[in-house]
Amino acid sequence: MKNLRLKAARAALDMSQQQLADAVGVSRQTINAIEKGDYNPTIKLCTAICRCLGKTLDELFWEG
Amino acid sequence: MDHYHAGIMVGLAAGIVAGLIFVAFLFRKKVLDCHFDERQELARGKAFQYGFFTLLISTYAYGTSDVVFGRWCDALAGVTICLAVSLCVFAVTCILKDAYLSLREKPRVVMTMFALLSALNLGFGVMHVLHGELVEDGVLTFRAVNPIIGLATLVILIVYIVNHLLRSREEEAE
Repeated sequence: MKNLRLKAARAALDMSQQQLADAVGVSRQTINAIEKGDYNPTIKLCTAICRCLGKTLDELFWEG
Repeated sequence: MDHYHAGIMVGLAAGIVAGLIFVAFLFRKKVLDCHFDERQELARGKAFQYGFFTLLISTYAYGTSDVVFGRWCDALAGVTICLAVSLCVFAVTCILKDAYLSLREKPRVVMTMFALLSALNLGFGVMHVLHGELVEDGVLTFRAVNPIIGLATLVILIVYIVNHLLRSREEEAE
């Protein structure tokens, strides 16, 4: 399932996939794969992304 | 061991040592690097698995072909074919999963290196063909190692470039 909330949060900060990838220490393709729902990140990467985008885990990754 | 075979052994050893020194130099200069992210590590693990099983199957197939058809190539050439096929499977799987190059490697530099390596080895291969040394008495000689490596690097290079072009087009469409 696509993670549109992550894409929206990134776009709200006017960040490119590459900028987010550099900030959390992964490749741009990994961020792309998470947004497309092709890759399920570890909790460590999820928290790094949340910290970088100023969001909580619930806001970006919880599928309630 | 006669002088001819001793010369071959020394030549091979020198080639391997030179190759190792060159690779160590590239790592020192950060041209090659082994820092992959978690998705890449996972994808590379899967690719390694495919490569490993390909190596098992190809080695067994080579051994079987030698028994069934008789000696059709030098052992070194045969083993190199098995290694090249396995490495191609590993590399192509990594490329298709965007996990071939690490976070710090520059695609242009690495692919230029691959192109040079491929051209050099295929060049040696053509030289051997022109001198009639590639096949002797219907047996593929150990000199086929160069063109086999050249061909393997060329396959990896082509897959990388085609995959890169297709991905770029897909991303533009998104």
